[in-house]
Amino acid sequence: MTDQDKRLSRRHFVGATGAATLAGLAGCSGGDGGSGSTLEVLHAWTGGDGATAVEALVEAFEEEYPDIEHEFNPIGGGGNQNLDAVVANRLQNNEPPSAFAGWPGPNLQQYEGVLGDVGNVWDEESFEDVMVQEAVDLHQRNDAYRAVPLGSHRLNCMFYNTSVVEEAGVDPDSLTSVSALIDALETVQNETDAIPMTHGASGTWTTTQLFSSTMLGQEGYEAYMNFLDGSPDEEAVRATFESLAEILGNYINDDASSIGLTESNQNIIEGNAAFIHQGNWAAGAYRNAEDFSYDEDWGFKTYPGSEGMYMLHFDSFLYPSDNPTSDVTDQFMTFVGSEAAQVAFNQYKGSIPTRTDVDMSEFGPFLQETQEDFADAEERPPNLQHGLGVPSETMTALNDVVSSEFSGPYNVDAATQGFVDAVSN
Amino acid sequence: MTRNTDTGGDSGDAVADGGVTENPNGSGFSPIAALNDRFGSDFVESSQFWLPPFLLVGLFVYGAIIWNLLISLTDFNSFGSPDYSDLDFEMYARALADSAFVDAAVNTFVLLVGFTLVTLALGLGLAILVDRNIRFENTLRTIYLLPMSLSFVVTAQFWAWMFNFNNGVINIVISSLGFGRVDWLGNPDIVLWAVMFALMWQFAGYAMVVYLAGLRAIPNEHYEAAKVDGASTIRMYWRVIIPQLKGSTISASVVLMVFALKAFDFLYSLVGGYRPPNGVDILATKMVREAYQANEWAYASAIAIALFLMALGIVGPYLYYQYTRGNL
Repeated sequence: MTDQDKRLSRRHFVGATGAATLAGLAGCSGGDGGSGSTLEVLHAWTGGDGATAVEALVEAFEEEYPDIEHEFNPIGGGGNQNLDAVVANRLQNNEPPSAFAGWPGPNLQQYEGVLGDVGNVWDEESFEDVMVQEAVDLHQRNDAYRAVPLGSHRLNCMFYNTSVVEEAGVDPDSLTSVSALIDALETVQNETDAIPMTHGASGTWTTTQLFSSTMLGQEGYEAYMNFLDGSPDEEAVRATFESLAEILGNYINDDASSIGLTESNQNIIEGNAAFIHQGNWAAGAYRNAEDFSYDEDWGFKTYPGSEGMYMLHFDSFLYPSDNPTSDVTDQFMTFVGSEAAQVAFNQYKGSIPTRTDVDMSEFGPFLQETQEDFADAEERPPNLQHGLGVPSETMTALNDVVSSEFSGPYNVDAATQGFVDAVSN
Repeated sequence: MTRNTDTGGDSGDAVADGGVTENPNGSGFSPIAALNDRFGSDFVESSQFWLPPFLLVGLFVYGAIIWNLLISLTDFNSFGSPDYSDLDFEMYARALADSAFVDAAVNTFVLLVGFTLVTLALGLGLAILVDRNIRFENTLRTIYLLPMSLSFVVTAQFWAWMFNFNNGVINIVISSLGFGRVDWLGNPDIVLWAVMFALMWQFAGYAMVVYLAGLRAIPNEHYEAAKVDGASTIRMYWRVIIPQLKGSTISASVVLMVFALKAFDFLYSLVGGYRPPNGVDILATKMVREAYQANEWAYASAIAIALFLMALGIVGPYLYYQYTRGNL
């Protein structure tokens, strides 16, 4: 009998444990959504310049708002891919962060219905008067402000290694058209052992980005804007791809497909290559390299043919609706658009403030020049690859085309058709 | 507990098992007894042991699959909630018309078959060599198994460097032998085989261990009998030993094939993004791109179902085979 009792009680005990586990799991579905009034900001600046810049931003924020509890969570990996995936999941599950880093413009289209209105911050701080007009336009969607800009990179940039171009006898400042660039690449090829143009194509985005600058430089502002607006001129697209096929087919490094931007940029620093096309974030690596200074060792040239234009990029903070900490988030958004934040962040990030009234004395000479170009630019066309020009589905479609038709061998006809189809309304 | 107390006399201490019975003479209806009758004598009492895991697996695995299937029938994209009122197979039609999907499916299938066959063959070869009473057997076994223990993030980076056109060790070796350099990752006709080779390197050790266990289970008498009968070594393995490794082959190939279907980690780490080099896009990477880059949830779900069916097509026959042999 006692034996029987023991067995029963043990069974009951295990059974009860099982039931308790079930109940516990059921309880979990309640979720641990909001963490009170803690400001939670998601971004993807995990290493190098980005990490330093965020540190400076956080420091400036703590100085200005010492009482706000905050959590700046970096989500790195794959460029912005992991951040975007985490943000998409959290917005999907109705668990938005207070704010997250992202691109404004048509990129906002994918967040239809999940972004709130930060118009009150824009009004109170009169951001409309101090930001460039393009920032004012691109941060609105469906007649409301959805985000606040923090800084701007420039896309139509070409960097070069001074000693390599001198050895080749090329004067970069004289390159004012894409065909002049191609001639210069030919000269570098013949006169030196260096790679004429280094390209990191392990991802497709560098090629898509090169397409946009080449189109702007070769076909002009109108043709480029028509392309973004969904009424592309097929001939202009084809001519751009023909130039690209010539450049990529003859003048880039052999290992382009197995390297990314970082290694590609290293070719410039080590003097293995003459030119690189990139956004001006590439210059951050030069600043961190030893004995590699602006004007002496490396130089900057607007991408040939796009002189007088500044292809825009914005790093902004997007404002989710159902904001878990709306009051605190408003204060954060106010801060993001302030001079203190924009100076603190951009001087380390290698970008420039989106405000036009900022004292640039803390920035290096290269960024001061960029700021002048930005202020004086005749046109500031939006970029193609970083959210400002086309919605994210279009961008994915364009990169699909680059991947299947234009990552070697270079099929001009198929790529032209693919690009025209992808953007056409 | 349901055992009737008609054994022996009526004295209380003779009832060794429980004392009180719930259904002494079959009078009245008890749902518990009915369930026990239907599913076996301990159905209800044992439920506290198997029911919680049953429900958890049911909800989180099978429930999630069914939910995914439902989403794939909607037109759900971007944010908000899916509209379940209008279900159709539009996403599947779209997949079949999407050449990128077809390419990815073909690549997945080629990877699946090619990788599995070559890895099995290599693993079998290694296992036979290691099993021939050689010196340093344990050391060699460890060396072959080591790649398996490394994370894909690490091995993918190794291979990205080794496949580099200029500095990669593979091109250095073949160019020093007088052959031309090969653009392993950039040439869409080659990259799939290059990736397959890298995965094979990592998994051959696993196949070896499975086969080694199979070989060790074969009695020595079989080898001796074959030798006495005058069989050559090759003939002995081909006719006597390898046929006995059917079980090892089946279990190893199921694991390898299921892995090949989700080679996502390797490809992701190889390029640091969701878009593998042209020519080696598989369903898993395409699915993630559609879901998280394009926010095409319904389309991504349809791709997931295609992937699921492929996995089921592999695991299903295996389960059936085990079932017919009485192992399940």
